[in-house]
Amino acid sequence: MEKQLIQLTVNGEGHDVVVTPNQTLVDVLREDLELTGTKVGCDEGACGTCTVLIDGKPVRSCLTLAVEAQGKSIETIEGLAVDGELHPVQKAFIERGAIQCGFCTPAMILTSKAFLEQNPHPTEEQVRRAISGVVCRCTGYAKIVEAIMAAAGES
Amino acid sequence: MAEHTLVGQRVVRIDSRAKATGQARYTADLTLPRMLCGKVLRSPHAHARILNIDTSKAERLRGVRAIVTGKDAAGVKWGVFGYTRDQELLTRDKVRYIGEDVAAVAAEDEDTAVEALKLIEVEYEVLPAVFDPLEATQEGAPQIHDHAENNINIHVPIEVGNVDKAFRDAYYVREDRFVNTEYGYCQTEPYAVLASYDSDGNLEIWTPNASPHTKAKALSNLLQKPLSKVKVRKVYTGGAFGGRSDIFPGEFIAALLAMKAGRPVKLVYTREESFTSVRQVHSMVVDLKTGVAKDGRFLANEIKVVMDGGAYSSTGPIATSVPFLVWEETYRLPNVRFNGYRVYTNKPVRGMYRCHGRAFLGGLGMQLDMIAEELGIDPVEMRLRNALTTGDTQATGSKIISCGLSEAMEQAAEESGWKHKRGKLPHGKGIGMGANGMMVGFPMGIRGGSSAMIKFNEDAGATLISGVVDNGQGNESMVVQVAADVLGLKMEDISLVCSDSEITPLDQGAYSQAAAFVSANAAMGAAIDAREQILEIASEMLDATVDELDLRDGYVFVKERPERTMWMGKAIRKALIEDTPIMGRGSYMPKVDQRREWVSNPRGQHAGTFSFGAVIAEVEVDTETGQVRVTNVTGAHDCGFAINPMAVEGQLEGSVASGGVGATLLEEHSWDGGQMLNANMLEYKVPLSVDMPQITPIIVETIDPEGPFGAKEAGLWGSMNMFQAIGNAIYDAVGVWIKEFPITPDKVLAALEEKDKDR
Repeated sequence: MEKQLIQLTVNGEGHDVVVTPNQTLVDVLREDLELTGTKVGCDEGACGTCTVLIDGKPVRSCLTLAVEAQGKSIETIEGLAVDGELHPVQKAFIERGAIQCGFCTPAMILTSKAFLEQNPHPTEEQVRRAISGVVCRCTGYAKIVEAIMAAAGES
Repeated sequence: MAEHTLVGQRVVRIDSRAKATGQARYTADLTLPRMLCGKVLRSPHAHARILNIDTSKAERLRGVRAIVTGKDAAGVKWGVFGYTRDQELLTRDKVRYIGEDVAAVAAEDEDTAVEALKLIEVEYEVLPAVFDPLEATQEGAPQIHDHAENNINIHVPIEVGNVDKAFRDAYYVREDRFVNTEYGYCQTEPYAVLASYDSDGNLEIWTPNASPHTKAKALSNLLQKPLSKVKVRKVYTGGAFGGRSDIFPGEFIAALLAMKAGRPVKLVYTREESFTSVRQVHSMVVDLKTGVAKDGRFLANEIKVVMDGGAYSSTGPIATSVPFLVWEETYRLPNVRFNGYRVYTNKPVRGMYRCHGRAFLGGLGMQLDMIAEELGIDPVEMRLRNALTTGDTQATGSKIISCGLSEAMEQAAEESGWKHKRGKLPHGKGIGMGANGMMVGFPMGIRGGSSAMIKFNEDAGATLISGVVDNGQGNESMVVQVAADVLGLKMEDISLVCSDSEITPLDQGAYSQAAAFVSANAAMGAAIDAREQILEIASEMLDATVDELDLRDGYVFVKERPERTMWMGKAIRKALIEDTPIMGRGSYMPKVDQRREWVSNPRGQHAGTFSFGAVIAEVEVDTETGQVRVTNVTGAHDCGFAINPMAVEGQLEGSVASGGVGATLLEEHSWDGGQMLNANMLEYKVPLSVDMPQITPIIVETIDPEGPFGAKEAGLWGSMNMFQAIGNAIYDAVGVWIKEFPITPDKVLAALEEKDKDR
């Protein structure tokens, strides 16, 4: 397949990458840019583990072609802390024990961040719906929901 | 030691920051220079003889660097026990399930590797296959292994007391059959392995695992290499739940490819491969016959279980025994006969699971409720009348040294409002209880114990070296918390080196529920040893006896006169100058009867200690759709002592998802013969955030005499007793017993329809 040069903006930084048209965004993020904080759980859009933010919205990067993401602002878990200062959602996940194996954590945190930006004062039910696209097998979601509610309270 | 400064506190786990920032690296995230991509060719047949494998075309494909088949292997068979060695991890003679590993390729990139697989030509002679464990034991069924007549892989017979007489004496006897289909671990992290081999013959392996030492030993056997050359490294693991324990073909294949190519090889399974070709959870058919006295005490239990083990043994003897053991670890069973059969079928291999034995444990706990109803006894009361207690001896001879089972039942009942709810909720709503005991640290020979070391830097920071393994539970953080508490340091003052088969001492791993009881015990021992050495030196420097001293915040001080204090670093430096460097050393082996064996001798002390728990589930059943919704779970667990209560609670909450909503209501594999139909996460349904109930955890502390600070375990909290609680709650809600797991809407509707007919 013919390769092409594209420009991606990830965590505020511009990157030139050579991709094939069928390469997914998660593949380019992980393989070319070595941003392995974004995980692959099922590679078919079911588990939500590969969630990144594109123009502030949570998107499954395994179902997104890299070429589609040109000209858009992509945010991954690596870009969330500013100057070493963690985002309030990251802090809440850490402090509330919302992280066990950690494999879904980047997707959970990014999804929560995007949700809270749109809904700064959510109900618990709204939080549960907001993260229902990301599968966690360890926590039973209890402390994740608690952490998101706590982060909402602080913002 | 003075009062605890750290243990018992809700501390932030040491691995949280790396995981919250994306810095934690899992196997698929790793790269090595000149690394190749591995791919496995899998059997399309459930049962077939391999006549020939032709790899010549694939070898000629540009970018292919190595191809391996069973001919490249040493022909050593794997099984967890000497008597269960039945699997060549790259098979030569036959394939025995769809998805079995036949050949593998290492290539410059994934596309080339996939292309190469298509060029490998395998000639099969298709054989008749069998997919049902009951059919597999019939005369004339296809024989899957030459050594196993009637395809019986494992038979565990246990008999205690006089069962037949006890049945004759019983006031009431009932028999029931419970069944369940296969299900999956579905860890969020797909299986992956990275292997590297150097010219000195060192093999390095990174793979999500529950025990690097176990993996290393198995690979050393299979590859016929010295154990010192096989180095299973630490890597973050995205969940295990029992499914990352023994050796899998992937590690073996990646190793063979790396050795043959002379370059590192990474193998990352697809989700489908993760479902079919690592491990699954046993299906089982369980026949229960129970006889009780008029007051509800168990007099006689006869249990027969037939488990579908799939094509190979894996942890078979353990898997076949565990459901029974968990039951004898809960109640007094004076007369009991158990026959557990694990049967070979042409299906993928089954292993141990955190929610193992749902038909078995769900069945026993539901039958208990049926009997209670017949006798007019409250189900909680009936459990209390049979519950084991401290000082009791279990049916097969294990002494219980600490037990909070009755307290757990009583507290869960009290907190949930059981008395006001059971039998009193409106139609469609119900409440039910489940309870179980759990072995902590069972016999695993030399790999059943743990040892640890602590060394100090001149700035009073320390490094703890422990074999402890963390698959997400918080075990790494736990051993640091324990050591820091003993040494009067902050957790961030101690760095941890762990889970590396070369560098860290032996440890059983995240297995047998032993990380807190055994690994943290060893870490505590190392910390106490180091503490004593520090105090010894400091006693001269502070002119006080060792007993008068204590450690806190990096300082040594005289307890009665805290103004007499000294930075711990001074003692450490003095020890170095005097050639007596502070080096802490600790170990712990659970006090089990090492002669006990799963099949040949299931008698004697089976575990170092036992944990106990009870859960109460509340459900709503939609009688139109058959949908069951779990609305509330109250769980009380005797974990001995909660080293980090936040982590302990997290274990219950996770169990409610995996054992409760998942294993009880949703999770199962569906099949067309040996072909799995839902080996993907769209169709294999797992609980989502919106499916989860409100959860109330209650920690019961019994301060175990052997455990570190009294701790036992918390990982199996709820996961093995949720089935009973939900099954019983459904009965309370709508008056039907569903004896097939998972309890899906179709089964609920069918049962309701049947009930209407009877009316």
